[in-house]
Amino acid sequence: MTGLPVESPTVAAESLEARRRPLTRGRALRASVPYALILPVAAAIGAILGYPLYNLVKLSFERYGLFELIQHRGHWIGLHNYGSVLHDHVFWATVLRTVVFTAVNVGLTIVLGTLIALLLVRVSTWVRILLTSGLVLVWSMPAVVAVQLWYWMTNFQNGVVNYVLGLGQHDWYASPTSQLGMVTTLIVWAAIPFVVVTVYAGLAQVPAELVEAAEIDGARPFRIFRDVTFPILKPILLILTSLSIIWDFGVFTQPYLLIGDAHVNSSNFLMGIYLFKEAYRTSDFGRGAAISVLMIGMVAVLSVFYVRKMLKLGDSE
Amino acid sequence: MKGRIIARRFGLIAVLAAALAIAASAGASVSAPDRAAATTVTVWLQTDAQADNWAPIVAAANAQFQQTHPGVTVDVQYQTWGTHLQKFDATLAGGSSPDVIEMGNTEMTKYMAAGAFQDLSSDRASFPNASTWLKGLAASGTYNGHLFGVPYYAGSRVVTYRTDLFKQAGIKVPATLAEFTSDAKTLATKFGSKKGFSPVYIAGTDWYIAMSFVYDYGGSIAKTSGGKWVGNLTSAKSLAGLAAYKAFFDAASRASKTTDETRPNPYDVYAQGLAASMIGPAWFTCCVGKKYTTSTGQFVMPSHTPGQVMPGFLGGSDLAVPIGADKALAVDWIKAYTSTQAEKALEAIGNIPNTTSLFNPTKVNEKAASRSWFVPTSKNWVNVENENILRNMLAQILTGKLTIKQAAIAASDTISSILNAK
Amino acid sequence: MRTRRASRAAWNAVGLAVFVVMVFPVYWMVTTAFKTDDEIVGSRPTWLPIHATWDHFREAIAGVDHPFFWNAVENSLVVVGATVAISVVLAFVAAVALAKFRFTGRKLFIVLMIVIQMLPQAGLIIPLYVVLRNYKLTQDRYVLIGVVVTYMTFVLPFCVWTLRGFLLGIPKELEEAAMVDGSSRLGAFVRILLPLVAPGLVATSVFAFITSWNEYIFANVLLQDQSKQTLTVWLSYFSGTARHTDWGALMAASTLTAVPVVVFFLLLQRKIAFNLTAGAVKG
Repeated sequence: MTGLPVESPTVAAESLEARRRPLTRGRALRASVPYALILPVAAAIGAILGYPLYNLVKLSFERYGLFELIQHRGHWIGLHNYGSVLHDHVFWATVLRTVVFTAVNVGLTIVLGTLIALLLVRVSTWVRILLTSGLVLVWSMPAVVAVQLWYWMTNFQNGVVNYVLGLGQHDWYASPTSQLGMVTTLIVWAAIPFVVVTVYAGLAQVPAELVEAAEIDGARPFRIFRDVTFPILKPILLILTSLSIIWDFGVFTQPYLLIGDAHVNSSNFLMGIYLFKEAYRTSDFGRGAAISVLMIGMVAVLSVFYVRKMLKLGDSE
Repeated sequence: MKGRIIARRFGLIAVLAAALAIAASAGASVSAPDRAAATTVTVWLQTDAQADNWAPIVAAANAQFQQTHPGVTVDVQYQTWGTHLQKFDATLAGGSSPDVIEMGNTEMTKYMAAGAFQDLSSDRASFPNASTWLKGLAASGTYNGHLFGVPYYAGSRVVTYRTDLFKQAGIKVPATLAEFTSDAKTLATKFGSKKGFSPVYIAGTDWYIAMSFVYDYGGSIAKTSGGKWVGNLTSAKSLAGLAAYKAFFDAASRASKTTDETRPNPYDVYAQGLAASMIGPAWFTCCVGKKYTTSTGQFVMPSHTPGQVMPGFLGGSDLAVPIGADKALAVDWIKAYTSTQAEKALEAIGNIPNTTSLFNPTKVNEKAASRSWFVPTSKNWVNVENENILRNMLAQILTGKLTIKQAAIAASDTISSILNAK
Repeated sequence: MRTRRASRAAWNAVGLAVFVVMVFPVYWMVTTAFKTDDEIVGSRPTWLPIHATWDHFREAIAGVDHPFFWNAVENSLVVVGATVAISVVLAFVAAVALAKFRFTGRKLFIVLMIVIQMLPQAGLIIPLYVVLRNYKLTQDRYVLIGVVVTYMTFVLPFCVWTLRGFLLGIPKELEEAAMVDGSSRLGAFVRILLPLVAPGLVATSVFAFITSWNEYIFANVLLQDQSKQTLTVWLSYFSGTARHTDWGALMAASTLTAVPVVVFFLLLQRKIAFNLTAGAVKG
């Protein structure tokens, strides 16, 4: 996650040399070593996900409802599903809502996580241990448990959050914005520990001498962060941001369970839930598949910037 | 250089080929269900049947079944309402569905239309009490004149109330809706100072209750006309029903206008002492809290017409046999589980049995079932529920966001288009 | 000196405040599991469960409506244990290939690892079930194997990617120095590489553990026999009924579900915190 690769000149020279030599049995065998190493992973993933992926793409071009599912056979309708989805204003509204939702979630998670990591550096050891243990507890809660718990704490009748904030019987789930706000709070809360632990580890790479030198020079904390700390944290933050985007864009369990099946509708759809409702509730699996494919495309687009940067960091120097 | 490249290419191709070969062979065909020698009958019942007082009924039916089928084991797997359809879809796709499945009566139509079940019409006469089956329930298991689901049990909606609070307020069980409304106002005056107290706790968007008002006034959700569905919430009678609901809600319930009947559960509110009564299924008495068990009673929700019962939503379950199952064994098991003996036991624990021959006129929930209504029997009805059309309409009406007429028009149009969709 | 101590005290205060806010929900869950029914349902919150009761735990473990608690624990441990063990090994092997060799398709493979994490799981449930059914992994004893294999496919990409990062962080000079010593590549690998990459292995194991332990969507569809279900599916029965949600029992059940993860994590936590920093330090 941290120290990224150093392809030393000696290895590069060696491989160049190797290319000039003839193909011997030993050479071919050695060249096939990497393939042998990735074969188990490729085979495991291919065996399980190969057909579902193929099926997903195939279904997106078919009319495939409950009837077709039972018959085990769909009807080819070309791009009709895609056309229907792309012309559906609910789809576009959901995309926009999900993009905003993702931006808010990822932003809050990364910023708060980094701030807490920076805090960890400045506190006494006993506070650090206490806080880290607490974050571990939070990290280990299963999502389904966290949802039940959060709903219980914010429920209309006697939720403790209402009590603490002195709000009487405020309904936190009355409007779509409020509902998604609750979901955001839950997701950010659960995601912070991972970010804190990772960034904190990265902070250990920041050379103390540089920080001290900057402090002696009279630089203010923000300046130090921007010029010394941040450049070193960059690769880590890139990874965390792209992962968060991927996870938050397609999030399903928390919003679905927290808002409740009965309250999920086009005014508060997120892509993950929209897909689920289309595929399973209305049993239009073909349409659901088309939405899935479009979703993958969108996440790829959203994260390509970060992923490319990471790949470059991995290969250069 | 050439050698190395060739080696690399072979390697990559080999890996990709291996992955693809495995993938293709895996998904290519759906294997036939392995029912060569049927020695197990797999039954999916809902977790309701796992309760203390219900489990013995299942056990008795299994025992009776095994007397006539000694080599066969019965494997009952309990499902939750929220996920059982998703699991069922997966098993349908994989060709490994259970032999018997409990379906909610509103869930049946969609699956019957899709051909998920085996036709039981030829066995109809041999099912216990088939001639006196509860009409509403039997209708939910019939499609295009064929029987696909055997009525299992039903439930109606009644009023569960605090006998002590009613006594303190000096009111008796109301006989008409008007009487109930004025009773509610009396209760509000006497106990309304307690924060969050509702004379009659009704969740704002509880469409099961709201539509009862609509049907009581002669209206309906949708009708068929010339082979097409037409939303009917805009008719004069339906509008009158909605207005009556709003009036009753405003007078009687302090619940959130936008929430549904699971958040919170009415019985939780009741158990906190914040409701003098609540409208809901008869089994609500299970969960009224230790404090109020002895001071709780039930009565039938009165109609606005004197002497009549307000039509209640007839909930309930059917038992169906998915395609690919061993029909003979499945049918025999269903016969054992819906026998007169079993239905009697189900009635004893508070359910409405599937046959009118076992009806007990003094029982509140059975009396409530004498007038009932059901959702439009269209395979697309589930989509109307999933889109929460009715709930949204009620929220808009109760919060005053839209007038009753405006909200009804919007909802009605949407319902028509959803029901008529291909 | 004084300002240093004062500012440290101030930071400590902030740290404690953050701790309280973050941990409060967990505190609430555990205490609710011990409260009496009246305290739970009451409109004034009870901060300390003075009248603590074990009833809810008893109900959670032995209640009639949600049986097979111990089976669920066993199933979860088996599934998660197998997933973590196999995934980390396979991922490590693949990561070695990605970090130490140049070969055609390397970039493609890495991109694939990233793309797989983008797949919307909801859309894959049914086809995945069909595949497993064709492999005969949906019935009887084999169903847990089906779940393990499913979890592996979602855990592997992240593990491969992370371990690659850790491996790339190890200086080549160390490896070369070991080879000059006369040991074979394999020898160098075992003696030098493995200990250095240990923190990465621990970190990926923890991630694999948490992801598999908390997984619900696939386990729910694949595990239809109640005695084969994992803890997260078992937990869903507490609120899946159309009837009464027993909040006390639900919180107790939730606490029980979270315990093994917390234990596992706390055992390894020291190692991670220390080793993440060690892994980060170059040369």
